[in-house]
Amino acid sequence: MDPGVRAPLLVLGLPFAAFLLLAVVAPVRRAGRVAGAVSILATGIALVAALVIWSDGTDGAATWAWIPADGGPMATVGLLVDPLSSAMLVLVTLVSLLVQVYSLAYLGDEGAPSLGRYYTYQSLFAFSMLGLVLSPSFVQMFVFWELVGLCSYLLIGYWYERPSAARAAVKAFWVTKLGDLGFVVGIVMLWAATGTFEFHALFAKAQEHALAIEGLGTIMFLIYLGAVGKSAQFPLHVWLPDAMEGPTPVSALIHAATMVTAGVFLVARAQPLFALTPGVLTLIGWVGAFTALLAASMACVEGDIKRVLAYSTVSQLGYMMAAAGAGASYASFLHLLTHGLFKALLFLGAGAVIHAVGTNDIFRMGGLFRAMPQTGVVFVVGTLALAGVPPLAGFFSKEAILAGVWDAEMRGPFLMLALTTFLTAFYMFRVVFLAFFGRAHAPGHPHEPPLAMRGPLWLLAALTVLVGLRLGLAQGGAHHGPGWLAPASIALALGGILLAWATYQRGAVDPARLADTFPLSTLDFLARRRYGLDALYGGLYRGFILGFSRLIGWIDRYLVDGVLNFLSAWTLRSGDLLRRVQSGQPQDYVYGVAFGVLLLFIWAQWWR
Amino acid sequence: MTLEALGFWVVAAALVASSLAVVLTPNLFHAVLYLAAALVATGVVFLLLDSPFLFGVQLLLYAGGVVTIVVFAIMLTERLVGERLTQTSRYVVNGAVVATAVFVGVAGFLIQVPRGGARPALPGDLTPAIGRALLGPWAATLELLAVLLVVALLGALYFARTED
Amino acid sequence: MSLYGYLTLAALVFAIGLFGVLTRRNAIGILLGIELMLNAVNINLVAFARFHADVAGLVFTLFTIAITVAEVAVGLAIVIAIFRVRRTVEADRLDLLRG
Repeated sequence: MDPGVRAPLLVLGLPFAAFLLLAVVAPVRRAGRVAGAVSILATGIALVAALVIWSDGTDGAATWAWIPADGGPMATVGLLVDPLSSAMLVLVTLVSLLVQVYSLAYLGDEGAPSLGRYYTYQSLFAFSMLGLVLSPSFVQMFVFWELVGLCSYLLIGYWYERPSAARAAVKAFWVTKLGDLGFVVGIVMLWAATGTFEFHALFAKAQEHALAIEGLGTIMFLIYLGAVGKSAQFPLHVWLPDAMEGPTPVSALIHAATMVTAGVFLVARAQPLFALTPGVLTLIGWVGAFTALLAASMACVEGDIKRVLAYSTVSQLGYMMAAAGAGASYASFLHLLTHGLFKALLFLGAGAVIHAVGTNDIFRMGGLFRAMPQTGVVFVVGTLALAGVPPLAGFFSKEAILAGVWDAEMRGPFLMLALTTFLTAFYMFRVVFLAFFGRAHAPGHPHEPPLAMRGPLWLLAALTVLVGLRLGLAQGGAHHGPGWLAPASIALALGGILLAWATYQRGAVDPARLADTFPLSTLDFLARRRYGLDALYGGLYRGFILGFSRLIGWIDRYLVDGVLNFLSAWTLRSGDLLRRVQSGQPQDYVYGVAFGVLLLFIWAQWWR
Repeated sequence: MTLEALGFWVVAAALVASSLAVVLTPNLFHAVLYLAAALVATGVVFLLLDSPFLFGVQLLLYAGGVVTIVVFAIMLTERLVGERLTQTSRYVVNGAVVATAVFVGVAGFLIQVPRGGARPALPGDLTPAIGRALLGPWAATLELLAVLLVVALLGALYFARTED
Repeated sequence: MSLYGYLTLAALVFAIGLFGVLTRRNAIGILLGIELMLNAVNINLVAFARFHADVAGLVFTLFTIAITVAEVAVGLAIVIAIFRVRRTVEADRLDLLRG
């Protein structure tokens, strides 16, 4: 076997082996912590292998034929290792590992069989996500795309006895499925036009300008729809806030760092194709920026800490998509990586808080910094990174995005993103001030989380700082884009922090009065009701889908079953009638014979 | 009308009349007697058809044997019941309609064929020919018939035995 | 008389016998009807034998007579057996074949 293939196979194969072991060998799975150990071990070794690949800088692909056809296989399976996928490998395995370690403590109260089930899903997810980033073709990516969606469903609905969790899992599934529909139609149309699913073949064709096919714009738009669903862009963003029903480590892993970034990854991976359809790219940019602003506005009025972080994720995904739409895919991907780090950090920190206080409601928290200083510190670090304050990682990637959007001359998106920067800082520090400072009126005695939870937190915080420093040093003094951009973005961030401080810490500005002033009052009203989108989807779902299923049910009960019931009743009744022919009187039978003979006479007369 | 034709009409009338009587008499015993008459009439028809041997067989077996058997059966069933069985008929009109229809059906075929055709000449008495046929081409059938009669005899004995 | 005269006579007797089978209530009465029908068949056979100068018809008639005798014997034996059990020979009551 080619030595270059061994490492990626290891990365992909170990989580899969862990999953198989846990899925098939029930005793191992039912011994909860043992299952956790298996999963963590597999992911840990995979991380080491991923680091080796990343530092080696390998670039290549290995494929094996899968679906045979004339003139070469119709579809292949394989591994594609390049800078894009190797960076993702490290991110996925790292965050996976940290989350799994964290879960040992966070889900420590779960029953052992239940915990084993959790780690089985975690291993499956790691395998699916890694397979997705290593895909060398659209079809393999789609297969893993769906697998990842399945894992999301399983993990959101982990506490399946809770009706809200079950509903949220189904909602996530349905909404992302809408996007996936577009995705699969798009890749099939692309294959019909070009005859291949492979990336390298398609990109080569794009380079040689041999890809001028009719409807490429439609195809790329359909493929983009998959990203809309998976990366929670407007209007398919509604599933992500509800997905917070899952355990917090799950939210940190798949709804912050990895699964939702699959859409951004797709756009980055297929960038040579998207570059041929500037119209679609512009759409991506606008939708991304709009999503960012919309989600930020909704985060400002949320009281549930996880929901705030969920909207924040939607908003940041919008940033990444806007950058991709502006053609700055480097900035987009960079933000994907940094955001993965500090958003996971924030979620895990929120998890520590929830674990300590027993509630998600920030208005019931307060003064937690005194009780949990370590958690407070790492949470503030994460918040500063998210707000885009140098020298933390978030600042550089966000600045790169803003520069990219400005350079692409997309003024509308730029304004939206700038406003979002301000709002991001505002709502995140709102959470910080409400939860960690101020008067402590949380019930019970909150305390620091155990080491298994604190370790990942510190590691992620350290990485956030280090990556930020590294990026800063690499850039040196050079800035992206126009000279006024960096100070402007810092100013917006600080402005947001200031407003939050004034409103929630100082009490100088009354939030209620602020919300009542026009035009904020209408926005406040709409944001609290999530702009009616959830209600709209719910209504459409109830109206169309449930109505349709009721119709089908009626048809099944009355028409299909009705036909069968009618046939069987008719059979019974006619049998009953025919029974009367058997009177038992022999002379009646002779009558029958005589009638038969008469019929024969008639037949003989007429047929001759 | 020739003598032969006259004879035919007389015998035919007798036959039909006695047949009607068989099926219409309420009294079963009378019906059996009328049957005997019908069977004798049939025998005469055989005579008219130049088959004296069959006339003899008819009288012996049918008019003699069958009628005797039926009489015995009536006696047995009548005796056991203790009274004379009166006969009433069942759905006379239906039966009449069907029977008439069957007759009309057959007659319909007969009408379509042209009349005529005299009797071919006969090479003397056919009785030896019958004998030769029975032991010749029809020998196997004869043997089977014998088996049938034995079986029937045994069956009748079995059915009619008294339970001990 | 031509062949068809005899055939018509036989058809008539057959129809009368059929009428008897269909309408008689007593089982023995039905057997009498059957006798008439078989008789009519014999007339047919003999007439064909005579008008086609074929002895096979006569042989066949002999067989028919013999079989009829056997059939009557067995049939009446059955009637008597049923009578012993059911105490009646009325065909209406003998509906064991009822479905």
